Amino acid sequence: MSGRYLLRRFGLILYTLLVVSVIVFGITQVLPADAAVMLMGENATPEQLAALRARLGLDDAVWVQYLHWLGGVVRGDFGVSMTSGLDVLPTIVESLSRSLLLAVLSILLMLVVALPLGILAAVRRGGAVDIGLGLVSYLGVSFPEFVTATLGILLFADLLGWLPATGYVPLLEDPVQAVRHLVLPVATVSLILIAHVSRMVRSEVVDALHTDYVRAARLKGLPEGLVLRRHALRNALLPTITIVALDVGYVLGGIIVVEEIFAIPGIGRQLIVAVQNRDLPMIQAAALVLAATYCVMNLLADLTYAALDKRIQYG
Amino acid sequence: MKPVLEVAGYTLDYTTPLGSMRALHDVSLSVARGEMLGLVGESGSGKTSLAWAIMRYLAANAVERAGTLRLAGEDLRALTPKQLTALRGARIGMVFQDPSTSLNPTLTLGRQITESLELHRGLSPAAARAEAEAMFARVGLRDPAAMLRRYPHEASGGEKQRVVIATAFACRPDCIIFDEPTTALDVVTSRQILDLFATLQAETGVASLYISHDLAIVSGLAHRVAVIHRGRIVEQGVTAEVFGAPRNEYTRTLLAAVPRPEERLVNTMPGDATPLVAAKHMTVHYGRPAFLSGLFGRKPRGVLGAENVSLTVRPGEVLGIVGESGSGKSTMARALTGLAPFEGRLTVAGRVIAGAAQMGRDYRRDVQIVFQHPDSSLNPRHRIREILSRPLKLYGDPEGLGIETAIAKMLEAVRLPADFANRYPHQLSGGEKQRVAIARAFAPRPRLVICDEVTSSLDVSVQASVVRLLVELQRETGAAYLFISHDINLVRQIAHRIAVMHRGKLVETISIEDLAAHGPSHPYTAQLMAAVPRLQTGGNEHEFR
Amino acid sequence: MVELLHRLVRSPQGAIGLSLVVLVLLLALFGPALAPHNPEALGVLRRYKPPSVDHWLGTDQLGRDILSRLLVGARATVLLALLATLLGTLAGAVLGTASAFLGGKADEAIMRTVDAVMALPSLLMSLLIVSAMGRGAENAVLAIAITFTPGMARITRSVALAVRRQDYVNAAVARGEGALYIVIREMLPNVVAPIVVEMSIRVAFAVMLFATLSFLGLGAQPPSSEWGLMVSEARRFMHLSPWMILWPSIAIALVAVGFNLLGDGLRDALNPRT
Repeated sequence: MSGRYLLRRFGLILYTLLVVSVIVFGITQVLPADAAVMLMGENATPEQLAALRARLGLDDAVWVQYLHWLGGVVRGDFGVSMTSGLDVLPTIVESLSRSLLLAVLSILLMLVVALPLGILAAVRRGGAVDIGLGLVSYLGVSFPEFVTATLGILLFADLLGWLPATGYVPLLEDPVQAVRHLVLPVATVSLILIAHVSRMVRSEVVDALHTDYVRAARLKGLPEGLVLRRHALRNALLPTITIVALDVGYVLGGIIVVEEIFAIPGIGRQLIVAVQNRDLPMIQAAALVLAATYCVMNLLADLTYAALDKRIQYG
Repeated sequence: MKPVLEVAGYTLDYTTPLGSMRALHDVSLSVARGEMLGLVGESGSGKTSLAWAIMRYLAANAVERAGTLRLAGEDLRALTPKQLTALRGARIGMVFQDPSTSLNPTLTLGRQITESLELHRGLSPAAARAEAEAMFARVGLRDPAAMLRRYPHEASGGEKQRVVIATAFACRPDCIIFDEPTTALDVVTSRQILDLFATLQAETGVASLYISHDLAIVSGLAHRVAVIHRGRIVEQGVTAEVFGAPRNEYTRTLLAAVPRPEERLVNTMPGDATPLVAAKHMTVHYGRPAFLSGLFGRKPRGVLGAENVSLTVRPGEVLGIVGESGSGKSTMARALTGLAPFEGRLTVAGRVIAGAAQMGRDYRRDVQIVFQHPDSSLNPRHRIREILSRPLKLYGDPEGLGIETAIAKMLEAVRLPADFANRYPHQLSGGEKQRVAIARAFAPRPRLVICDEVTSSLDVSVQASVVRLLVELQRETGAAYLFISHDINLVRQIAHRIAVMHRGKLVETISIEDLAAHGPSHPYTAQLMAAVPRLQTGGNEHEFR
Repeated sequence: MVELLHRLVRSPQGAIGLSLVVLVLLLALFGPALAPHNPEALGVLRRYKPPSVDHWLGTDQLGRDILSRLLVGARATVLLALLATLLGTLAGAVLGTASAFLGGKADEAIMRTVDAVMALPSLLMSLLIVSAMGRGAENAVLAIAITFTPGMARITRSVALAVRRQDYVNAAVARGEGALYIVIREMLPNVVAPIVVEMSIRVAFAVMLFATLSFLGLGAQPPSSEWGLMVSEARRFMHLSPWMILWPSIAIALVAVGFNLLGDGLRDALNPRT
């Protein structure tokens, strides 16, 4: 892995963020909202509004406003929330930390369940686990998060009463309650991932088990366990890294819905509230941060892949 | 002497949705210590099934009906899975067809041999590494210590196959099965590997079963040979006897199908010396540097396909182009058909063609191409009728017979039944598909047909019949051929002149008469010709031993 | 076409998927005619009823017949998702084909931008678009279509490039076929198959996305009986009647399963070599 490769990857990330910022800014410009009215309320006089517009630069050409905003973003200044009047950045950072906890736990749960499940289904192809996984994964990818979440609440909170329905408790405040509150959201986000990733893992392992080099390893007299561990899995699990990284997009989408349903004050809920209130700076910041998270995850995945796969020479 | 490997009365079926299919029928053969038995047959003959049966690596739908498989007297069919793991790699080894897929890309070359040594010979990791290094040196790998640390992608095809061979010999097995071990390699490399087999075999005295479709290789390598056809061994005996005086009909067909340079298939050179096609200083680049590539520091990827090539084809002449893979011979075919942009001067029947854009209707009609893989060159979603009707619609139906009759005649000309017009390509065999592609190329009455490795994806006997068809069509239509092939024996059979390419450059063009009289003038041509195995049909002289 | 159907129903996925999708499409087309009750009819005395002979799936918080509402809502849910996928596929196909056709720098620029756009999670992307254009079913359809465009462009491009490299296309070029014939007769039939497969799977995703948007209050608006909206409304009354939530949830999942299965079935059936 060369410095040149890293440079290229960072270049692509910057380009991605630039495109995303244009999209986000462009879309929020179309929003039928007058920022000045929103800030000062309906009772403001036309003179007051005009003065505020001039101060905020709302009368400038769109591209001037964009550059102005982008300049602020680069310096870490995402502007001031139109509803709370507070700086956007601290709010975003705080809610992002809650969302990341949810995301990381979901991905961990997914890995713990999906990897063994996929491998087992591949090794015992046509067996009970395989057929079961096939059925379950069709169902799994067909349930949108809001349905899973709602049914989960219905069953575990409403009918059985085992878990709290909604709410968020900080981990440091009351760990037990915090975990109880996280069970349903994490399970919801990871279900669709487990369904998808386990099927991918299965097909990767099945492909790896049919390669010539696995056959060669068997015919060298290696015991099946060693063939699986040393020869098949090593190659099969590499592409899984990429699949998981791409699925981070699903995770982030899922988090938006799950935070809304379970009333978790994370970045997804922040975004929905901002959309409902037409809080432009907040929408822009939240969307940009979510896209950046996705980019960073993919970069990490690529680097891991490159570090593990000896074949690729990045240059 | 007791045989090391003994197969007796072995019968194997595969169960398919359409019923039971016999793969091997009452197969008996044996290999003694120090002996190499060649097993020759075409694809689908069952030769590979036999290898899997001996290795006890049968598909799930395989059913063994009868017979025994013995290694040094031990019944292989009776082994428990545990005994089998102990036996594989230790007492019976295998060398595979394609070293680039049979080595694990994520493990070092050293690891792939030491794991065997540690497991079967109980060596410590350090001792295994030392032994592996010695083995690598023995199979002729340069700098064995460095090779141990390399990954497969860091080694050439020949080096990788040497690693596979080293692994097979590492645990001093009683028997080794070679499964088409040189098919994936280039001619010169393959020659070196074959020499290595002969040496190692003589040194170790291992009993070898050498499976191949290539009679020429087997004739120079094996002590005894068994010919397999549709799951039956049709003839078996000492190599020189079987190939010198074959008793079985199928063996005779197979032997007759092997290209022999001394058996010329075309008449002498046509008299007309004015070239039909003349290419002067043609250079072909592949690919263009991509957008942003400079920005991210990627090197421009314009690859040189062919450089400064000049050649001429006379009317009715067969010009052979030979060379190894990557030599640029197919690049020339692509440039001449306007599929790759070229620099240089191309003259066709007096007209100058500066680029693909200037290849007008007349040029397109006059110059036709047949590709290597009929699977790819025939659109899988078109019936044969549609495929054959296109040239007629573009260039007219020369005899005014009407499309249906014309298609029937085209099929007849390539010896296919008329009702094939209703079929899809996937309902035809490889040879039949290639005949359809040939019919399509001849439909507009071309003056030059470019044949790009047209026989190399076909079996020996099918290959011979396709070549025969091409020779007949050439005689009937008077078309010139640009016959591209890696098989120099085949080219020497049918070409009037041979152009030899190496790494994108034309190294020499030589007429068949000059070649016969004075031999090649360029050392590379000489190397190539020396490397190609030739069928040995008599006497005791052995090419590799 | 008949042959394709034959091949499709040979695999269990294809058979189940096709039956489910046909059933759903029939319901979407004839749903209002089949509905046993008026989906808007209120009834104070028959609120939160569990399934019964009269109301097969029970009634909701306003006493409306759930089965009738589902049947009428099928149109809003399934047909709009289908429309969104079609639009997205079309736009993506045009963009992808253009990119593959232009090649070189334009291709690289388009594909890098497509990659960049895909860094926005699809739900976020459609959320942003809907919030810009205003909530409502039509805008949700457009938002999903726009969200699908980059992905479909990427797939179309790679399929088109793969087909372009095939020797049958080279053969057509070499024998002097016109560009129109090559694109329409030689390339299109081979490009369409993988795109149809992808589209079928995307419809499942569109149904889920559309329902999610409605659930979040940004897609279909009350009193529509779009299924996502029905789940959203039923949440508040889940302790009074779990049936209200169960039925539209199952309906959404069934449609998604159907299109997913159909996609996998089509993948096998459209492969001419099996």
